[in-house]
Amino acid sequence: MKKSYWLIAMMLVLTMFLAACGGDDNEEQGSEDEGTEEESSEEGTEEESSEEGSEEASGDGEPVDGGTLIYAIDSEPSGPLDINFYSSVTEAEINQFVQEGFVEYDEEFNPIPHLAEWETEDQKTYNFTIKEGVKWHNGDDLTVHDWVFAIETLAHPDYTGPRWANVQTIEGAADFREGNADEIAGLNVKGDYEIEITFDKARVNNLLNLWTYPMNQTAFEGIEVAEMEESAPSMTELVGTGPFKVKNTSAGEYYELEKNEDYWQGEPHLDGLTVRVVANTSVIGALENGEVDMVPVHPTQGEEADALDNVSVITYPGVSYYYVGFKLGVFDSDAGEIVEEKEKYSNKKLRQALWHAIDREQWIETFFGGYGKTLNAPIPTSHWIAADNDDLKQYEYSTEKAKELLAEAGYEDTNGDGFVEDPEGNEFVLSFSHYDTGNPSFETRAQALVQQWEQIGVKSELQMVEVQNYYDMIENDDPAIEAFFGGWSVGADPDPTALWASDQLWNYPRFNNEEADKLLEDALDVEVVGDDKDKRKDVYTEWQKLVNEEAPALIIGELEEVYAVNERVGGLEYDVTGFNNAMNWFVTDGADK
Amino acid sequence: MLKYTLRRLLGMIPMLLLISIVVFSLAMFMPGDPLGGEIDPTNSDPEYIEEMREKLGYNDPIHVQYWTWVTNFVQGDFGKSTQYKVQVSELVKSRMLNTLFLGISSIVITYIFAFAMGMTAGRKAYSKLDHFIGGLNYFGLAVPNYIAGVVIIYFFSFKLGWIPFGGSHEIGLQPGTLEYWISRFHHVLAPAIVLGALSTASYTQFLRNDIIESSRKDFVRTARAKGTSESKIYNSHILRNSVIPLITFLGFDIVTIVNGAVITEAIFTYPGIGTLFLNSVNNRDYSVLMTLTMFFSLLVLIGNLVADLLYGIVDPRIRID
Repeated sequence: MKKSYWLIAMMLVLTMFLAACGGDDNEEQGSEDEGTEEESSEEGTEEESSEEGSEEASGDGEPVDGGTLIYAIDSEPSGPLDINFYSSVTEAEINQFVQEGFVEYDEEFNPIPHLAEWETEDQKTYNFTIKEGVKWHNGDDLTVHDWVFAIETLAHPDYTGPRWANVQTIEGAADFREGNADEIAGLNVKGDYEIEITFDKARVNNLLNLWTYPMNQTAFEGIEVAEMEESAPSMTELVGTGPFKVKNTSAGEYYELEKNEDYWQGEPHLDGLTVRVVANTSVIGALENGEVDMVPVHPTQGEEADALDNVSVITYPGVSYYYVGFKLGVFDSDAGEIVEEKEKYSNKKLRQALWHAIDREQWIETFFGGYGKTLNAPIPTSHWIAADNDDLKQYEYSTEKAKELLAEAGYEDTNGDGFVEDPEGNEFVLSFSHYDTGNPSFETRAQALVQQWEQIGVKSELQMVEVQNYYDMIENDDPAIEAFFGGWSVGADPDPTALWASDQLWNYPRFNNEEADKLLEDALDVEVVGDDKDKRKDVYTEWQKLVNEEAPALIIGELEEVYAVNERVGGLEYDVTGFNNAMNWFVTDGADK
Repeated sequence: MLKYTLRRLLGMIPMLLLISIVVFSLAMFMPGDPLGGEIDPTNSDPEYIEEMREKLGYNDPIHVQYWTWVTNFVQGDFGKSTQYKVQVSELVKSRMLNTLFLGISSIVITYIFAFAMGMTAGRKAYSKLDHFIGGLNYFGLAVPNYIAGVVIIYFFSFKLGWIPFGGSHEIGLQPGTLEYWISRFHHVLAPAIVLGALSTASYTQFLRNDIIESSRKDFVRTARAKGTSESKIYNSHILRNSVIPLITFLGFDIVTIVNGAVITEAIFTYPGIGTLFLNSVNNRDYSVLMTLTMFFSLLVLIGNLVADLLYGIVDPRIRID
């Protein structure tokens, strides 16, 4: 019996070990990309096809009707699939084909009408008109009540999903949530197809933040809000208005979708589209065999996929970036402000020197297969607010320049050990942290940075921190974390306030600069910028210049989204917001099958 | 024997309690929680994360969390998965069938191969065939199943196209039809062989050695002297004796069915308990993780009990009371 006890203990340990080894891209997606671009993964609109920035993919020839396309994902979707409840990027891979919103985004992430059009005069009150004649998959007419239903669900005190933030700016939503009101004051239904939504105050990004997806009332009829998340319509039986509807699902394995013949924009070419879970180790083989037609691949696998004869790799700019941050202070989350400054990395020239020391192009080439490019400010270049690169300091790779800056900052080698000492003559050791998912390439890529810093004479140490703990430690300003590797993926709203303003928890470097805060405030202030986009962009450019100069974080680069697509797939168009509407996709041998 | 079984079953209670403490502490020792590591600025905000932590009880003192878990667990409430957002019992139930199917197929395949190879090798001891089988077995013992899985997929699925590379059945087949079941067997074949490779190898060697040993025993010599045919001696007299110790392995096999599948399932994208377990570890889905670990532990205990009882049944010389 003793033996069995040991067995169990061993087993737990072993499985944890194996799990760490397994640490596949599933893990990586969550932590590395730091979340999703949910808006950007929505289908683009057909208007984009003729516009600059969108490209035609491999698919050639006339569209063919019929056939089924197999779309693969490498980790299993878990939990609710419904757009109003889902929580991770994997689930979005399924609901993007089934559900759609009132608003879409163009390639500059400007909201454009989709199922609804809107007008506003003061950026506080918006008047929406919904398309008539759009049908849900279950035959219901899409009306404005479905939207109200969605918003009231999200604002309900029992709502268990993560979307309260998307409705909290509506006037009266807070009262509704606290139970002081039976309905949300800011929602003024003017008819079945018209609604006026009032926000608590005028903001330039009210619309971007707003929840613009409907929720089918029949499907969720009679289900308490607290139970909705785990109910069938949310978990498996998705109801939407999109080009495809759910036919059959086998949890954790595949999700079979069939075309929505009554789709309001016309009948899709494909008869069906199956989203299939394929283990990372099998993706390339399955592509080669034609068992998978389309799959998002990790940049490091791009080259391998590109080498296959029947597959082409397509890329479009993503909206995620990586950086090396320095802890410049300590944040008090109760007070919502930075309460303490840290000295160690406070010298701007030191940070700039470290920036110059990194050969970023080579690094991206080596560790991301070249599917990315360097970036000098924390705004992906696809966002319309991104500053012109020429306005920013370039931080090109130059050990000379780096050493010069180090010397100017007073960091010199005084005891002849080959490494610099700080201006007071004390040993200086840069402590760099990177998250560890078990993926061996992470340690290598972190080590590459450390070596480059050592080359300019800055003694550096690397510590790999278990990924589940990593962001917690960073968030809590754990003293063990000094310099750290991080990444953010941002959505349609280009505003960087949540990630870089001094009163924000997610400003991980604890960048505290009054001028920068003021600029960020101005850029969102209707009084200052009104609805003049150029003016807003100017303010953001100023902010980027400042961050670029101050270097609270060494921005490394932005990544591209990489997809491997079988040659038989046609009709794909893509730009920064993702692919076009799947109704236009086809397979060239569709008619034969 | 009834008394013995009851005593053993009662003895399991304190054991399980101790295991629960170990499982709980190990789970808590894992860094992070389900809400860390996956912050998404477009999708949630710090307040929501904090609110959820409070709601899920992660801010309570450790002993309170343990007590809540144990009392709920005993009452059959395994909690709700933070990742899948459904009751753990339902989640496990939905995956259990797949894993059982894989496990049972694996055992059947294991026994077929082990008997065929073991009997041949034992009968033709020290021949070339025996050495070949022996080599194969040591290879099976030496190669870890996660490597075997990947290699098998590469050759038999991608290169030769004999077997599917993953999944539990062909997409689009209606459950219950004949085609569906054929497809399921087709899909389960490769993972079942990989899963059973280790035990096949050890059973084969075990059987072979036992057959060689028995063949030198007096009763075999007597049978030979009486002129009994060789095949009858091996297939009936010797085998019957050699199978006895093998049967007792059945207890341990129950354990292998479920536990061994963890890695294999992940490689073959087979939606069973194993993939579920790996996911729950990766995502710190405590309720799923702890339920499954407790369940695995219980299986080990029961497996041991079954093995001990079977000893007594097949070999009356062993008395267990």
